[in-house]
Amino acid sequence: MNFKQILRYILLIIVALWTLGPVVWMISLSLKPPAEWYSANIIPKKLILDNYINLFNSSVPIGGTYFMTSIAEAITVPYINSLIIASISTVFAVLIGFCTAYGVSRYKAGGTFTLFFTLLTRMLPGATFVAPLLVYYSTFGLIDTHIGLILLYTAVTLTYAIWILKGYIDEIPLEWEEAALLEGAAPWTVITHVTFPLIRGGILASALFIFILNWTEFLFALVLSVTKAITLPVQISLYASAVGRMYGSQAACGLIATIPMVILGYTIQRYLVTGFTFGRVR
Amino acid sequence: MAKLFVKNLRKVFGELEAVKGISFNVDEKETLCLLGPSGCGKTTTLRCIAGLEIPTSGEIYINSTLINDLPPQKRGIGLVFQDYAVFPHMTVYDNLAFGLQVRKMEKSKIDSKVKEIARLLDLENVLQRYAKRLSLSEIQRVAIGRAIAVDPEILLLDEPLSNLDARTREKMRTELKEIQMKVGITSVYVTHDQLEAMTLADRIAVMNNGLIEQIGKPSEIYDNPKTLFVARFIGTPSMNFIDCSFIEKNGKAIIDASEFYLDVSDISSIIKEKSTTSELILGCRSEDIIIETKKTSPDSIEVEVKFIENLGAKSIYHLGIGEKRILVKTHIIPGIKIGSKVWILFNKNKIHLFDKKTNLAII
Repeated sequence: MNFKQILRYILLIIVALWTLGPVVWMISLSLKPPAEWYSANIIPKKLILDNYINLFNSSVPIGGTYFMTSIAEAITVPYINSLIIASISTVFAVLIGFCTAYGVSRYKAGGTFTLFFTLLTRMLPGATFVAPLLVYYSTFGLIDTHIGLILLYTAVTLTYAIWILKGYIDEIPLEWEEAALLEGAAPWTVITHVTFPLIRGGILASALFIFILNWTEFLFALVLSVTKAITLPVQISLYASAVGRMYGSQAACGLIATIPMVILGYTIQRYLVTGFTFGRVR
Repeated sequence: MAKLFVKNLRKVFGELEAVKGISFNVDEKETLCLLGPSGCGKTTTLRCIAGLEIPTSGEIYINSTLINDLPPQKRGIGLVFQDYAVFPHMTVYDNLAFGLQVRKMEKSKIDSKVKEIARLLDLENVLQRYAKRLSLSEIQRVAIGRAIAVDPEILLLDEPLSNLDARTREKMRTELKEIQMKVGITSVYVTHDQLEAMTLADRIAVMNNGLIEQIGKPSEIYDNPKTLFVARFIGTPSMNFIDCSFIEKNGKAIIDASEFYLDVSDISSIIKEKSTTSELILGCRSEDIIIETKKTSPDSIEVEVKFIENLGAKSIYHLGIGEKRILVKTHIIPGIKIGSKVWILFNKNKIHLFDKKTNLAII
């Protein structure tokens, strides 16, 4: 092993520690009893699972009276809410995004401005329009509803779906679609049988990306949900409040929240690499 | 079986007039080749017929039906694309069955049709393969098979061999010809390769600059080019062209090419009738000139051998006369070296004369 290789490994170790550090810390914290939360040891002196059990226990004030926080709700409802809201808005964003991207890519729909325009929604910090949104939502009775968050998440992530998918659609040679047309397929059949399956990698990539954004979104959910539509990130934040700090349960909740993402990412990753060159002669 | 009629087809893209009003028809089971250099409008013409482009003006008929306003999927036209466009996410079977499936045909009928096509095109062993695992020849046959599986009235082929290397192209050309003879379908074939056109076409339409220069049987196009462009475009090596002028003196009509002249008294009346100017271009194919090692006739012209291209069985002799170069393709003549003095004799029955002003053929 020469010097260059050693240097490379050292760099890799630093990066690995840098990214894995918080995760390790979370795991450690989630297994520690309250007395150890503020100590620096990674390996808990006393291993407990109470932090996890408490997450599903709504009747008992979490952490006992000393560490009591403002909430004592089980994470089941926020968990289901998050799953529903994140997945439905992902499906919406990807489907609408696909149609828009197709129009923009193939028919130059809306001219060059459309694409840029959709990006405008992401150029403002969310905090600037969360206040007006609150007013609108309270007028329309959308506060603390699933549909309210689904609509908002779809709107703000749509532009990513459009941009990602347009890139993929642009890569598909027009001849494939024309060939399908000449085979007698109606334009919609061409899209469902040729275009859509060909950009499956792009669909999954954008879906994964948008799902991550939706799953971790905090600001909008914090302002626009109260109890019925509360999502996981908001729930996680509630474990540490002015009244008390439940770091163990917060870490446990955070870890549980990452499980769906890890599974999803792992199953999808093999579809993410695609190539369009096969089947063509050039 | 169908006939195709194209009448005054025009297609304008913004500033560019790609097709400038062309008319032709294709008979039942006939193959018409649209031949021309790139950018001459041949592919645009094909795409108009297929319905992938909307003509600016003009009419396209299949038999007596005007198809201008029909969308591509309802025209009954099969198209083989330049890069074949075989769907990569489907097996050969699914590619061949695609058109039948979207027509909601019964499964058993689709199956028998696909098998029939596979047998015809020798694709039976690769039916379950994906496009990326096929050879070029197989991909080509899948593309053709998919186009003919739906029993189109007209088959269009858009430069299907142009992306291949020379050797594969040669092999696939023969293969294509065999398929064509087996299938027997009215077709339009677009190419810029004259050899393909000569091999595959019943008739050739030579296109240039958005217009058809000449339309006819391959032998007609080769032997009697109607315009200077056709004469120049068809044939390898290209026809020899020599600027000359038509002069009559002492009751004799001659073509004066300054370094030499040809007696054309016997056809002088035709020249006078058809030409608009006395400035002409003499054209003669390289195989219609005879090389002699000694002067045998008063019409023999002395030239110097500048360069010899050896093609194996034949050679191309580059001969110099003054500033002019004349190419002669003939069998190898022993004893002729670079720098030798030889004599050439034009085959007078095979010479062509073009009007320099109109670029049209006189004889």
